[in-house]
Amino acid sequence: MSTRRAIFLVARREVRERLRGKLFIASTLVMVALVAGSAVVERSLSTSATYRVAVPVPVPRGLLSALERAAKPFDGPTIRLRSVASAQAGRAALDAKEVDALLLLAQDKLLFRDQVDAKAAAVADAAVSALRSHLPPAPELTTMTIHAPEKAKADDASTLVAYAGSLLLLMSLAVYGQWVVGGVVEEKNNRVVEVILSAVRARDLLAGKVIGIGLLGLVQITLVAGLAAVLLGTGVFEAPDFLGISLALVIPWFVLGFALYAVAYAAVGALASRQQNADTAGQPVTYTLLAAYFVGYIAVVTNADGPLTNLLTVFPLTAPLVLPARSALVGVPLWEHGVAVTLVLVSIYILVRLGGRMYAQGLLHTGSRLGVRTAWSLARRGQEGQTTRPGHGVP
Amino acid sequence: MLTLSHANKHFGAVRALDDCSFAVERGRMVGFLGPNGAGKTTAMRAIFGLVELDSGVILWDEQPVGPTPRLRFGYMPEERGLYPRMPVRDQLAYFGSLHGLDDRSARVAADEWLDRLDLAGRGDARLEELSHGNQQRAQLAATLLHQPELLVLDEPFAGLDLIAVKALAEILRGEAARGAAVLFSSHQLDLVEDICEDVAIIDHGRVVATGAVASLKRVSRRRQIEVQLENARPGWLPDVAGVELSTRSNGRLRLLASRDVDPQRVLIEAKRAGDVVAFTYGPPSLADIFLELVVG
Repeated sequence: MSTRRAIFLVARREVRERLRGKLFIASTLVMVALVAGSAVVERSLSTSATYRVAVPVPVPRGLLSALERAAKPFDGPTIRLRSVASAQAGRAALDAKEVDALLLLAQDKLLFRDQVDAKAAAVADAAVSALRSHLPPAPELTTMTIHAPEKAKADDASTLVAYAGSLLLLMSLAVYGQWVVGGVVEEKNNRVVEVILSAVRARDLLAGKVIGIGLLGLVQITLVAGLAAVLLGTGVFEAPDFLGISLALVIPWFVLGFALYAVAYAAVGALASRQQNADTAGQPVTYTLLAAYFVGYIAVVTNADGPLTNLLTVFPLTAPLVLPARSALVGVPLWEHGVAVTLVLVSIYILVRLGGRMYAQGLLHTGSRLGVRTAWSLARRGQEGQTTRPGHGVP
Repeated sequence: MLTLSHANKHFGAVRALDDCSFAVERGRMVGFLGPNGAGKTTAMRAIFGLVELDSGVILWDEQPVGPTPRLRFGYMPEERGLYPRMPVRDQLAYFGSLHGLDDRSARVAADEWLDRLDLAGRGDARLEELSHGNQQRAQLAATLLHQPELLVLDEPFAGLDLIAVKALAEILRGEAARGAAVLFSSHQLDLVEDICEDVAIIDHGRVVATGAVASLKRVSRRRQIEVQLENARPGWLPDVAGVELSTRSNGRLRLLASRDVDPQRVLIEAKRAGDVVAFTYGPPSLADIFLELVVG
């Protein structure tokens, strides 16, 4: 049987059995519902918005109805006009947050406080053009802010995307990694692995298992992060569009991160003794993953562009968690993406070779827990499949 | 034909296989005998690459055994293993396809074996929902599903009731009749004597006897004498050199004699001691041969 067929069969079994378990479907639905739900909440909040617009006297006739007509296609926010004595008075009202915008028709300007509201600007622009339709084409409204735009809002969204993204990655890597450990420990403990390995190479079994479970994780994270990214990119959330791309980065980085961590998970699962359960068996890798997350978190919070953060962006164990977050916060130059991906790919190659051997060693070893060092030395000698079976088969 | 040739395997200081050689021909059923820890499981695992030999070769049809020929082998380890939460039919089909069957043939074969082993109604049940006996059958089906050319079973009869033993023996005979080479280990020597033409006896990793049961009996240095006596004094034994007691129950003596002992002398002594109701002389049982070879 070809290697590809063996891997396919193992992966297909993993997918089928996990889907039978309902946990995957339920958790995916819950997560998608959370993302979609937050979009609905955000939208319902923004549709109930009221735009308070100050206009210096004299207020042209028909401005309010023109604004309301123009606002209709934008989910019909309520428009409140307030006439102010002068542009000066209007600025004061804007500054005091009594109004959201100041429309200076004489200067073709629309002023905001510190952040241009694109929707409001579009509404005002449409309304003013409509009012002036009988006149020669007028210049479009210029939008500006009276204060230097604070980055507050954009930063809030970036921070949210950065942390939600890396938390999603951390959780997905840990949960699906733990599925790998669980599967490996189960196969080892109920001895089904002996029957499988009598027909299938250990590395094919490992590959099939990692690919099968990884595919499920990929589907879930693609649905969740993909939906959030699309919502961000299409402006459903009030946040800069580029955050959609940053969030979408989570998807390929799940693939890379999972390939790296899942092999390690499989190896520790195979080394576990029969008494150990999957939870404790997976701990060394889970702790590594958590450490990578927290070191990355602290580095990014302290200085998202500092030397440590730069290092962690390309360091294979932390790259999957740090890179998408940093990309959301400050952007990551393309060459760093390249270095990070290359280093992770190299690490995956090394880990698959060594972890794969330790996996093969560990699977057939029964009795006491096989020490990492022993497994390592056996693996280095490359004696795949060799094993000792204390009290069983050894005279 | 499966051939183990000069197989050696150490586990640390322990010699698990010591120049171990034997063969299993197609269409023959070989009982693999040996005391606990003699190396039976190690030898069986080596056939499937689960143990790597220090030296020696394992051949199938004169070719070294590798992953491809192994797909046509079936292995049932001593400690049975299937997925507890996976439905039985899916599970059988999975093992069939791992052994090279396409999806359709694997499902057809799974259904056939479920029928054959009276599990037809349980195909959709999870393995853990089956009784112990039915789980054993499912395990057997997983081993046989792909019509292996070589069948290796580690203690297949252990823990089975009499009816299950008969049924399994019948199935294994059928597999041999189909042309499969069958190798199984067992401690139930009387059973092996009943169903196997050939045996391989291993002790301390070394094959101490191999061949047809009949010829092992013929060449044995011992003979078995059974005497049923009445009205004899309790504890009577014939005073003949080279004759020793094997078992005694209800006036029935089972004696082992060396081949050169004249049975007439035992009969004469028995007649003096009491009324001889029955007297037989013949080759030793497989159990006697086993003890002779292993204990000495």
